[in-house]
Amino acid sequence: MESLVYIALFAPLLSSLFAGSFAMTPKKQFVGVVSSFLLFISFAASAILGYHLLVTNEPIHVKLMDWIAAGDLNISFGFIVDHVSVTMMFVVTLISTVVHVYSIGYMDHDKSFNRFFSYLSAFVFSMLILVMSDNFAGLFIGWEGVGVCSWLLIGFWYHKADVTRDINPSISPSWAANEAFIMNRIADLGMLVGLFIIYWNVGSLQYDVVFSAIPNMTQAVLTTAAMALFIGAMGKSAQFPLHTWLTDAMEGPTPVSALIHAATMVTAGVFLVIRANPIFALTPEVSYFIAALGTFVAFFAASMALVNRDLKRIIAFSTLSQLGYMFAAAGLGAYWIALFHLGAHAFFKALLFLGAGNVMHAMHDELDIFKMGGLKKAMRGTYLYMGLASLALAGIPPLAGFFSKDAIIETAFNEGSLILWATLVITAGMTAFYSFRQVFLTFHGDERYHEFGIHPHEMYKYVLVAMSPLAILAVIAGFFKDGFNDFIINLLPNYQMSEHTHHLALYLGLIVLAVAVSGILLAYIKYNKRLVRSEKTENGFIYKLLANQYYIPVLYEAVISKPYAELSKLMWKNVDMKIVDATVDAIAKFLYRSGDKSRGMQSGNLSNYLNWMAIGAIALLLVSILSLIAA
Amino acid sequence: MSNILTILVFFPALAGLLGFVIDKNSARVYGVAIAAVEFILSLFLWMNFDSLNPTFQFIEHFPIVKDFGISYYLGVDGISLFLVIMTTFMTLIGMMSMTIKEDLKNMVITLLFLEMTMVGVFLALDAIMFYFFWELSLVPMLYIIGAWGGPLRVYASIKFFLYTFVGSLIMLVGMLFVAYSFYSAAGVWSFAITDWYALGFDMKYQFWLFLAFFVGFAIKVPMFPFHTWLPYAHGQAPTIGSVILAAVLLKMGTYGFVRFSLPMFPDASIMMIAPIAILSIIMIVYTAMVAYAQEDMKQVIAYSSVSHMGIVMLGIFAMNSEGISGSVFQMLSHGIVSGALFMLVGVIYDRTHTKYMSEFGGLASIMPKYALIFGIMLMASVGLPLTIGFVGEFLVLIGFYKISPILTVLAGTSIIVGAVYMLSLFKRSFFGAITNEANRKLKDLNANELVSFIPLVAIVIWLGIYPKPVLSIIDNSVKTTLSIMEQKAITPEAKEIIIAKNSKEEK
Repeated sequence: MESLVYIALFAPLLSSLFAGSFAMTPKKQFVGVVSSFLLFISFAASAILGYHLLVTNEPIHVKLMDWIAAGDLNISFGFIVDHVSVTMMFVVTLISTVVHVYSIGYMDHDKSFNRFFSYLSAFVFSMLILVMSDNFAGLFIGWEGVGVCSWLLIGFWYHKADVTRDINPSISPSWAANEAFIMNRIADLGMLVGLFIIYWNVGSLQYDVVFSAIPNMTQAVLTTAAMALFIGAMGKSAQFPLHTWLTDAMEGPTPVSALIHAATMVTAGVFLVIRANPIFALTPEVSYFIAALGTFVAFFAASMALVNRDLKRIIAFSTLSQLGYMFAAAGLGAYWIALFHLGAHAFFKALLFLGAGNVMHAMHDELDIFKMGGLKKAMRGTYLYMGLASLALAGIPPLAGFFSKDAIIETAFNEGSLILWATLVITAGMTAFYSFRQVFLTFHGDERYHEFGIHPHEMYKYVLVAMSPLAILAVIAGFFKDGFNDFIINLLPNYQMSEHTHHLALYLGLIVLAVAVSGILLAYIKYNKRLVRSEKTENGFIYKLLANQYYIPVLYEAVISKPYAELSKLMWKNVDMKIVDATVDAIAKFLYRSGDKSRGMQSGNLSNYLNWMAIGAIALLLVSILSLIAA
Repeated sequence: MSNILTILVFFPALAGLLGFVIDKNSARVYGVAIAAVEFILSLFLWMNFDSLNPTFQFIEHFPIVKDFGISYYLGVDGISLFLVIMTTFMTLIGMMSMTIKEDLKNMVITLLFLEMTMVGVFLALDAIMFYFFWELSLVPMLYIIGAWGGPLRVYASIKFFLYTFVGSLIMLVGMLFVAYSFYSAAGVWSFAITDWYALGFDMKYQFWLFLAFFVGFAIKVPMFPFHTWLPYAHGQAPTIGSVILAAVLLKMGTYGFVRFSLPMFPDASIMMIAPIAILSIIMIVYTAMVAYAQEDMKQVIAYSSVSHMGIVMLGIFAMNSEGISGSVFQMLSHGIVSGALFMLVGVIYDRTHTKYMSEFGGLASIMPKYALIFGIMLMASVGLPLTIGFVGEFLVLIGFYKISPILTVLAGTSIIVGAVYMLSLFKRSFFGAITNEANRKLKDLNANELVSFIPLVAIVIWLGIYPKPVLSIIDNSVKTTLSIMEQKAITPEAKEIIIAKNSKEEK
């Protein structure tokens, strides 16, 4: 079994190195094939490990080698395959495999085909380090590793120049990549502080040691540690106010959006909260804050999705919104429900993104849904997939999203936080609306793309086949909810609804369902036939506010980026050059000048010398008299 | 074997002397060969180094001026061992990658002399010898900047020389006072550092002596606000000068703090934690901002050096072995990474004769190998885990957290501001459309250049994944230094800080 752990972990690394060795050569189809195969091996190993755990219920703990040891700090590369990590491994490797195969088709015409596979596999490797490590430092390796891969992949088309847009100051893949990296780094500082707190209070960073030492920690320490760790989670999972990078990350190739910015990396923050649940469970204030922030983000992101016209950005906002749901569940203590939604969401959201990729492919990289419409004729398979995924996302039974999202909403009710519950219910309606607004505008109604001279065509067959596992899982994953519950509570605390909630469960579910269905209906009425645009609405305050993402990107540019750049310039030109350096030069010049001036004394003229001697004698005399008086 | 340190110090200089009679055309080969032998010798030293023994090894000690206690005294411990290896390694790599055509022979000889002084500083255990090498190292660098530098070379080299020289003189006064104190206490003169370790001082004396040494070391590091000689020196120096300056010469300052200030003046050091930490944080944040504002690629790297040296300074004053070991490791890491970055800037300068980022843009598609290596070094520079840059930075921050969480958070912003200027540099130079048509014809790295860069990349990754062989040896010696401090500490505050550390070890 130990070797399976290493196979699962290192097959993607091998794939990355293999593809990387062809990075500077022209496109080679077999690079994609070999990479996908290696990823499949990793998936198979993860699946076997999952089965093993299901049967034996015994986590596998392996230690590869020492990493950093100094003072009392001792960190090693250790990996644990337990119920939580194996769930993550299964989700990550499955979606990665699908995305790899998909990319063979999607990146077909890209001259950096080989390089793409190298980055993509490197990402999977980092993500596996993140979920499999048995200590916080290992988690941090993966944490930063996925950050770099995300940077590389968002900026994959680095040759594109910066384009000024009305919403964002200036955006290009390389700009978005840097934004994502730097914003994540801000949060990573919080995470590092969390690690430092844990180290100085426990003396170790290994999960089992840390969690068993929790009883010895004071509440204050626990609370600060939880806060610091959650700041880290906020960056990776793009929670407000560190959310703007996620939609800009859509500048990357679509398979990347599907894998990294929907299914896996962005859920790392949720994973962290689930992983460190013994800490968060004992810090109710922090946990409640997490739930409240999650709920807020769910609503906040969904509101921006309502009016957006960019196919990928709509899905990105919905990812943001669903991450909010996950945090709401985790913050309310329903860790396993959060993890379940994480998995279910990963399946249907990856499917949705890959479908969007097909549409982009068909539309020659056009993303504006106002320019699409009626695509279902040309793209039957994609239509089916995206329709299914949207139904799942909207929470329509019996698809996966219904079971997982409903459980979260029910949890909010069960905890008695009616505000959170109501917000989440309303958000569910908004989710259904914007999902189907996008489906109808893309696939139904008048074929607006003719105006732009586009001839859409369906994606390659094998790509559609490769997407099918996701489609199947998006449909059936919900049925495994009870089984998953039995499995996961071996590690995570179980979350039981109260008797009261249990009685009301049916009605609660019906309320959510009714709201969701009305969302879909509204979208149907408005957008099914044709796109009717109203000047009045689009110029309205609320519409503009939402379309401009509450002006937050503009605000960040004006309040943070610009002032920082200007202050930097000021520091250099005025402080460093004119004050610090000028002082040094002034001292040097003073010495030089005083020497230069006093050089005149040594004129070689005897009478001058005598004058100076007399002055000197008088000065000495004065000094001695003065000192006598002073004494 | 018993004379290996002497050989290590003087072999390059003797070979340099011999270099005068070598034919001009073979000067480069000669230089590389000598540097390679020296590097192998230093590896040999490592192989024979007893990693379990934290004290000085391979000691050579005999008097020169007996009446004044000045002796020929060399020795190596875990702290200096890797600084020596890094010095010989970077000299070798620098020599290999050198593209200077004019007066190449003079350059080779100068570099070999410089290597003697650098190795000498790290191996000397007698203060007079240390001072001798310390000051002597200024001369070859003065020559390198002054003879091969840019248009402002005379100003830059004189500024470099005078600035650091003034600081050193004040340090010399401190040294003489310590020697005199030793004489007063023991009745004999001694300049041996190990003798000085046994000497205790009153708080009053410690404070002034600490300051005297501080001025000498701080200008060398360079600490804010004594750093302004550095951008000029880097701006004017040829690539090889910048590589050696950033990789090795700056480390002499921080090494001085570890070797002299901490064990000799423990109470003053602990008293000075707060001011030094604040200066370090200013170094980290302020110079990172200044780096971000630069238009010249080389100046970005130059200012980033100051920023990274801020991390090193902070670690030294963490007063625990996590921080100090991390700091020594960060010295190595910064030596490798900043050296590599200066070499990379040199590569593009050789091709385009400009260092302005506005002249570049889109280089990644023209020079993919160059972009790849630059990218790896960039990631090491911003402290990505599994590269050499992470280990030191992480240990320094975790170590200093024990002293002050708030100051650590402020210093930790280095991971943000560092990413800002490095990523911005990378984006401006390598990403985007190719704005300068003339750049389309640029050649990617050639085989010669790759040979110099690949070892650097290998070390960056190797020591990022498996720093243990280096770190454990450093850590042993750092613990010894800390125990010297513990024994000597007299003020209750100092005792508290060091003992809090040791009581943890007993657990």
